Amino acid sequence: MSLVLAERPIADRVPMWRLVLAARDGRVGVALTGASLLLILVGPMLAPFDPTAVNLAPSNQPPSMVHLLGTDHLGRDVFSRFLWGGQSILMIPLMAVVLTYLTAGLLSLVAAYKGGWFDLVVSRFFELLMSLPALLKILILVAAFGPSTPVLVAAIALTNAPGASRVIRGAVLGETQADYVQAAQARGEAALSVVTREILPNILGPVSVDFALRITWGIIALSTLSFLGLGVQPPQADWGLMIQEARSSLQKAPLVAIVPAIAIASLSIGLNLTADAVVRQFTGRTGAASGHGA
Amino acid sequence: MLDIVDPRPAADPTDTAGSFDPPTAGLAIRGLTVRYGGPERAPTVWSVDLTLEPGKILGLAGESGCGKSTTAKAAIGFRQGSETVTGRSLLAGTDVLALDPLARRALWGNRVSYVSQSASLALNPAMTVGRQLAQPLRRHRGLSGAALKRRMLELFTLVDIPDPAVALKKYPFQFSGGQQQRVALAIALCCEPEVLILDEPTTGLDVTTQARISALLRSIVDRTRIAVLYVSHNLALLANLADSLAVMYAGQIVEQGPTPVVLARPRHPYTKILLGLSPRLEDPRLVPGIPGLPPAGAVLDDCSFAPRCPYAEAACCGAAVPARRFPGGVEARCHRAEALAGGGPSPVALSRVAIPDADPLLIVDQVELHYRGAPRPSVDKVSFKLKTGERIGIVGESGSGKSSVLKMISGLVAPTAGYMRFGDTRLDALAVDRPRWLCRDIQLVFQNPDASLNPRHTIRQILMRPLVLFHGKLPASERERRVRESLERVRLPAAFADRMPQELSGGQRQRVAIARAFLASPKLLLCDEVTSALDVSVQAAVLETIAEISADAGVAVVFVSHDLAVVRTIADRILVMRNGQVVEAQDADGLFTNPQEPYTRDLIAAVPTFDLA
Repeated sequence: MSLVLAERPIADRVPMWRLVLAARDGRVGVALTGASLLLILVGPMLAPFDPTAVNLAPSNQPPSMVHLLGTDHLGRDVFSRFLWGGQSILMIPLMAVVLTYLTAGLLSLVAAYKGGWFDLVVSRFFELLMSLPALLKILILVAAFGPSTPVLVAAIALTNAPGASRVIRGAVLGETQADYVQAAQARGEAALSVVTREILPNILGPVSVDFALRITWGIIALSTLSFLGLGVQPPQADWGLMIQEARSSLQKAPLVAIVPAIAIASLSIGLNLTADAVVRQFTGRTGAASGHGA
Repeated sequence: MLDIVDPRPAADPTDTAGSFDPPTAGLAIRGLTVRYGGPERAPTVWSVDLTLEPGKILGLAGESGCGKSTTAKAAIGFRQGSETVTGRSLLAGTDVLALDPLARRALWGNRVSYVSQSASLALNPAMTVGRQLAQPLRRHRGLSGAALKRRMLELFTLVDIPDPAVALKKYPFQFSGGQQQRVALAIALCCEPEVLILDEPTTGLDVTTQARISALLRSIVDRTRIAVLYVSHNLALLANLADSLAVMYAGQIVEQGPTPVVLARPRHPYTKILLGLSPRLEDPRLVPGIPGLPPAGAVLDDCSFAPRCPYAEAACCGAAVPARRFPGGVEARCHRAEALAGGGPSPVALSRVAIPDADPLLIVDQVELHYRGAPRPSVDKVSFKLKTGERIGIVGESGSGKSSVLKMISGLVAPTAGYMRFGDTRLDALAVDRPRWLCRDIQLVFQNPDASLNPRHTIRQILMRPLVLFHGKLPASERERRVRESLERVRLPAAFADRMPQELSGGQRQRVAIARAFLASPKLLLCDEVTSALDVSVQAAVLETIAEISADAGVAVVFVSHDLAVVRTIADRILVMRNGQVVEAQDADGLFTNPQEPYTRDLIAAVPTFDLA
């Protein structure tokens, strides 16, 4: 079909971050994410006490000038545990999602571009994986190998794999039909060059958004696991674990559970809102690129 | 509070036969101005006056971006977003623009209808066309049951859809593009509107389909006395169909009047040049395109066309040009209207080379492409030969297999049968498996320059690629020199190397794509509908560029297009394809003066033509 394309005036090159910050949800998202990251990275340096030092005498104390958020049932300083507790909850999902993309992502990228039986086998494999409930997959792994950090990373990576594979596959299939990819193929470019030069830069947008959303999902999954006692193990300081430990004394010391809960929420909501604002920029751009009559 | 009730008596549901009463009024658009953004921005549409008369078709012509669609939508109160619309649009004395949204909705599809360019996008793919046709009839006419059914059959008969009763139960995808547009037309006409707005209704369609839809529209207008605004970039089409013409440039109507008078003596240079620019079947020569680009919005203190106008003089700048009246009911905004009679850019033939009497460069012999599961081959035993420097045109309607031939030659798909040879090499491998020199020798330019340039690469990166791939280890400075040289060769500033494709206009992007192809130093250039996405003012210049560079380098060209007149300008020999087969192959001149096959004659006859004064 022939299109009548507008002779568009030259568009201003506005950097993406500006467009993201121009939207209200983008600003809120970036602020929440930034604050949470700052807390996670700088927090441990500011902690007044050792987060794992047990001191039974002053257990379950209310907030005071010494213990800003009081102490928990083992007399540990809640504020110090809070400042330390974000690291595991960010790093484990982050490593997991990176692992997902390096394995399932790359595999699907190659499969989608190559097509044929290889693509068929790879997509069927991930569909099979998808048909198992996420929590079940994690529980099996954790039950078999114990709740250590590598196992948690692998378990979260595994549950993310089918979804990430689909996102990558869809994006690559869409690009493979693009004229500039066909132009590269007609030039006789090697497959690796077509993928890295022509396809990758164009799918980076949707993929980076998916990446952020999967970290959010991983944070919630890990908190759930820690709450169930299958994630991060005591005595380590971890937001999910803190909520679980505070459960028994919720009425006496509610802050011990509420503060980490708020931190988890603001980190995941912040990442979500940022991803939303970013994805809107990508779809907005591609939408505007389609031609229409005068 | 305005009256939102349809002032006409509701149709009696029992009496739907012979239903097209002549509407009395048309639409009078007065001082219509559309602005996006604040008052500091130039208006997109400025002070448009148009009168749509019952039983008449008003053609609104102009290039993309000039504001024709915006005018058409704004005139019926259709809001697209943040724009400010001022002026009046009078429908039987009522200003449509002053109505509140609810009252406007009661008009749309009822007394005023709109048909958009792509029926395939306008029709809901998940609903049968019958249900979509029933909706406005239920809403605006309160029809139901047998009366509704009868009315729907009547409408499908009106727009010539075969077997209406069966057709009503089908989904949009089960119709061809032309039939989808007929369905859209039936929906638009179902409530006997007084005014019909058609926005490029046949632009994506084949020329034969376009001719049939135009004929249908004419007969409907004559029978129903509806007032029609027909928006199109195709001046030849409007010249044949419209009773009066309005030509738009940069948001202003620069000329309007009865079609024969405007065609006989255009009073605005833009009209004159636009008329001359349409490639013509009778004459393979082309008028050079208009240099420069149109302004982004209306220019209020100069003549907006002056910077590109060959007739411009000092008096054209410094003040807005008022509309002047001329004999025959024509109005035009030009100081120099009297000077237009003679002169103007004259048509020139594209550069050509003598074709040496040598062995063919490319042999295509009985080639077939049959996709698995398809009822018939996409390409069916196609054969032709091409010599160095020769240009072959392939014409045909969509689905004729013309682009598939190019894909096979370039190695994007493999033929299922037959034999292709390039020089001494068989062309049976896909591009990835071909030797590098072969990929260099055969270059392909795509239809849509929006899609063929990677949006994440700069023009420099795009143009460097063939140099890196095909010209071995060149020093960086030499590569840079060649990139700049190639940009100048396609008449783009060398500074464009730093831009992104999105920052270029469609015509400029297509030039980059052509520059990329020629940077490989090919022996054969494959052009797939390379001008279809371009405006007529850039089309000529792009054709000229291809012809010039290929003639200089002795490059053979296969030029595929649905547009016979365009193929005529560039090709030495033309193949006509239909349903995957070559039905006729002739010299370009012979094909147009003495077509042998009935199908070729039909194709030629369907191309709208007009006589230039």
